[in-house]
Amino acid sequence: MDGSFTADAALQRPDRYAFLSAATERRPAIARGAGFSFAAASFGAGAVTVDFTAFDRILAFDAASGIVEMEAGARLGALFCFLTARGFYLPVQPGHFSITVGGAIAADVHGKNPAREGTFLAQVRSLRLFHPAHGMVEASTTQNGDLFRATCGGYGLTGVIVSARLEAQPIPGDTLTLAIHPVATAREGAERLREWSTTHDLVYAWHDFARPGVEFGRGAAIVAKFSGKRGVRTEAALRPSRFSPERRARLPLSLITPWTVRCINRVYSMKLRRSEGPTTLAAALYPTASSEPYLALFGRSGFHETQAIIPDARYGEYVDELRALVQRSGVTIALGVAKPFAGASDHLRFTGDGISLALHVARDARASAFLAELDRLVIAAGARPNIIKDSRLPRAIVETAYPDYQQFRAALRRWDPERLFRSELSARLGL
Amino acid sequence: MRSLVFGASAGLGRALARAFAARGHALVLLARDERDLEAEAKHLRTVHGTQVEWHAVDATDPAKVVQVLASLAREPPVSNLVFPLGMAFAGDDGALPLAATVALVNANLISVMATVGVFLPAMLAGNLGNVVGIGSVAALRGRSNNVAYAAAKRGLESYFESLRHRTAATGVRVQFYRLGYLDTQLTFGKRLPFPLASPQPVAERVARGLGRDLGCVTTPAYWRAVGVAVRCLPWPIFRRLKF
Repeated sequence: MDGSFTADAALQRPDRYAFLSAATERRPAIARGAGFSFAAASFGAGAVTVDFTAFDRILAFDAASGIVEMEAGARLGALFCFLTARGFYLPVQPGHFSITVGGAIAADVHGKNPAREGTFLAQVRSLRLFHPAHGMVEASTTQNGDLFRATCGGYGLTGVIVSARLEAQPIPGDTLTLAIHPVATAREGAERLREWSTTHDLVYAWHDFARPGVEFGRGAAIVAKFSGKRGVRTEAALRPSRFSPERRARLPLSLITPWTVRCINRVYSMKLRRSEGPTTLAAALYPTASSEPYLALFGRSGFHETQAIIPDARYGEYVDELRALVQRSGVTIALGVAKPFAGASDHLRFTGDGISLALHVARDARASAFLAELDRLVIAAGARPNIIKDSRLPRAIVETAYPDYQQFRAALRRWDPERLFRSELSARLGL
Repeated sequence: MRSLVFGASAGLGRALARAFAARGHALVLLARDERDLEAEAKHLRTVHGTQVEWHAVDATDPAKVVQVLASLAREPPVSNLVFPLGMAFAGDDGALPLAATVALVNANLISVMATVGVFLPAMLAGNLGNVVGIGSVAALRGRSNNVAYAAAKRGLESYFESLRHRTAATGVRVQFYRLGYLDTQLTFGKRLPFPLASPQPVAERVARGLGRDLGCVTTPAYWRAVGVAVRCLPWPIFRRLKF
């Protein structure tokens, strides 16, 4: 999606169970959902990409427990409409409603308050996985626990996630109120995030890192809280989206320059101030859906996103070093977003204790040198980079930052000695 | 209102079942694989709260199809029959083995006729219902690429023409849709000279057309122009075309 990597690969789009087994029959393959991950996780040279979006059925829902079962190609937006009409929702969701449930599980994505809600895994009760050597396998924390652990946040490398049972929650209130608190620095933003992550339902911060000389890190903490009646049906209005990697890359030239970034940031901070007050659940959960035009500005050459969880104690120092690095390298940071995290590291899942900081830069020669330097800062700070977002993350950095790297690699080989499921991501990371 | 969708597990059939369920129809789903039928039936029940019955049948075996249909619950009566099924083989160039030819004609034509035969008497007696045929632009003019398929689909058009005539004086309505390329398993990954249409709008159109005496409709609309062109091409030119 970020425009970094293209490969010629065979594509299959099965729509019947009989075709699913045929598509993956003893040859390298990888499942694909919406194709929205920034890293090349759903394709790679030599692997058949299995587009799973035809398997989109909602199979069961129990209003007493909130457990909803669906096929993995179901899109979060369809599930959102189904659940909200019944007074339920999934608290942990990534920024775009076109993303599929299978993709959200495979990348173990996070939502708008990972410190309190955890990652997508927190909602997964069980799943069904297909692997040609094992057939259909049920997995949960109590059944085939090792497989479940390796599949949630396993980047699709254990097989095709066919269906899942997720635990939805009653919508905590019929009103969602957004508040914007301006912050002068990233450090101040982090303090606010920590404080509000316990009291608010959605918590993140936007920072303007465009000018290392002045007001570096100026921005706002964006928080939202439910109030009013619990479990009330809400109007489900989702604007249909036809966003895709191809549409994102339509502009032949990048329009991201220091000057345009300053303009975008000014417009965005004005828009932010005006957005205070009651908001819709859809707008709060899926901010990326409304920033499609922004991502398109990067044009065909694309962008880099890089995100890392930095331990609280090292965060201020990290931002200071980032500022020095930006000054030295001359890159323009187009976007900075911070979120509070909490959680124990396991396999290659993106979680940990600290503040995550995500940055966007345009893809050019300066950017790769800048990101290589940033990798060193990440390692020095004891931080953990996000594998699904950073399409160029080198194996050495992942091996150092993830203590379970070897363990995950071994788990994949125990389950599948032939290593049939592979992608550009798995090849780059030596998985 | 109860509607039977034959070929309900993929492409247009799924879209049709969903369009009918959204309008509150109870459904009978027929397709080959019970895994697909079960998933689709669960979806329709969970999302639309509609009553769904399904049977795994092989359309290449019309005798079995009739046998299964005879076992169907009588109430509520089935008032709409829709046939979004098609079967095509690569290498259908006039030299298909007998078994393949029989399977192809059975699936595209005979099973449809057999199913209508089961329900038509009750529909005529009740003076109510719809029979919806799904044809193909491939039947417009025979070509070397799909010899048996085009013949079966041409036969289907003729059958629906007769059916419309048979029911003209009754409350039963017949609609026949001659479809251009749809974005389904049949066309996926093929290099085709015309763009693909999504099954959802076609399904909505079919659902809206119920109860109307439409005759034969070619859709998407631009295929009407293609149809005229294909039929009017003089033979000395047509014989040189490879498509």
